[in-house]
Amino acid sequence: MIEFQHVFKSYGRGRNILSDINFRIEPGEFVFVSGPSGAGKSTLLKLIGGLEPPSRGAISVNGHRIDKMPSRARPYLRRAVGIILQDTHLLYDRNAIQNVLLPLTVVGLDSGRAATRARAAIEKVGLSGKEDLNPVEMSGGEQQRLAIARAIVNRPAILIVDEPTANLDQDSARRIMDVFRDFNRVGVTTLIASHDRQLMASYASRTLRIDAGRFADLKGVAA
Amino acid sequence: MRRWLRQHRYAFTVALRRLLAQPFSSLSNLLVIALTLAVPIVGASILLSSQPVAKQVSVSPEVTLFLLPTAPPEASQRIQRRLQADFAQDIDGVRIVTRQQALKTLQANPNWSNALSALPGNPLPDAVVVTLKEHPDLARHANTLAQEWRQWDQVGLVQHDSAWVQRLEAILRFVRIGVALLAMGVALVVLATVFNTVRMQALTQREEIAAARLVGATESFVRRPFLYLGALTGLVSGLCAIALAYLALMPLNSALARLAQSYGTQLTLQLPDPLSLALAVVVVAILGALSARWSVTRNTRF
Repeated sequence: MIEFQHVFKSYGRGRNILSDINFRIEPGEFVFVSGPSGAGKSTLLKLIGGLEPPSRGAISVNGHRIDKMPSRARPYLRRAVGIILQDTHLLYDRNAIQNVLLPLTVVGLDSGRAATRARAAIEKVGLSGKEDLNPVEMSGGEQQRLAIARAIVNRPAILIVDEPTANLDQDSARRIMDVFRDFNRVGVTTLIASHDRQLMASYASRTLRIDAGRFADLKGVAA
Repeated sequence: MRRWLRQHRYAFTVALRRLLAQPFSSLSNLLVIALTLAVPIVGASILLSSQPVAKQVSVSPEVTLFLLPTAPPEASQRIQRRLQADFAQDIDGVRIVTRQQALKTLQANPNWSNALSALPGNPLPDAVVVTLKEHPDLARHANTLAQEWRQWDQVGLVQHDSAWVQRLEAILRFVRIGVALLAMGVALVVLATVFNTVRMQALTQREEIAAARLVGATESFVRRPFLYLGALTGLVSGLCAIALAYLALMPLNSALARLAQSYGTQLTLQLPDPLSLALAVVVVAILGALSARWSVTRNTRF
């Protein structure tokens, strides 16, 4: 479960990126966050992933209060939340499987089990046979799927994704979205930031619309 | 425990990979630190090898009391008795060298015989040679006694061989302080070089650090490879420095052997004992790790 209560976010003394945000996402939901560029969608996702602290307000993720969590405890929260940002942060000095192995190395899993899980994750996103390829040898869609494999290899309860289909052709975008839908069907809470209305119409069960740091349309927002 | 070991093994492997990924850069860093470290090691070698020489020379110094040329012949025996009676706890032995004996000894030397034959008489005084007992600070003690004996009646000059030992000790003290200051300077060089190396590495590994943080890496996980990098740099540099110092001592020893031979003695510069060297390498490795920690904390805030 993800819950925001009167959350504000600003950087330094600048204007609020997010102002008085309130919502609640139940476990297993598939939710879109929509809005124009600069509306605050990415910031919202970063707050959920514990990548940024809120300036004010209460944020609960999986029953943990992020706003009260010391910074040294946040990495442990991130292990339960799969994060895929616009910049995929794939490592180009290692191959696909080594990229997927990174989260398992971080938790200290033994190499045998880690390799099995990494191969399973790669298979789930449809990249079987490309384990030894370097990300630069992959297409944009494949790189995106590799980032998904890395995000889900630790079996997270929540998946947060920022603009997963930007710069992808329609066919690749649909295949990526199908991967998210499959994960959601097995109970993974999925939150996707996007401004692709067509995509949202095809997949969304709920949409949170945000504009200039505030919810523009409270339809579907449960406080 | 196994998980902890796996994470450390991973960090060590990453550090090693990063060192090997830029061989020329790593090698030049290691060389700079190793050369800098080699200087105090050579200094310490010179210091430690010279100390026994100073001690050896001052083990049994002889103090010679030259009497006045006008002193009566029995004066030397009177002084000998006085020394044996009043300074028994300080002296090991006393012998008299009469002016005739001294002249005979000098005449035996062809360099002196001609000069002496030109003189109308025997210019040499009677002398009393005192061998002192061992003392923790023999040079200073000998000096104190010599000052007292210089005041005695019929004594013209007191000469003791410990003066140069005192000078040598003063020089060694100066060198000791110099080596200590040098070691501190070297520590700063190690800190600065490792700091900069790690800073460059942190900037190069920016993407990897960001990816690791994204998937839940703790700050310890992010820092650990850099700490190993710093420690490895210190460790390898330390070992290289010992090898360099050993190589530097070889030509120095060959030159020193000839000099020592001309003084009828033997002196070889040796590296400090293995335990001290191991300790120095460990200290440098710790310094490297500390500097890396400082650097990575400052340079990975992105």
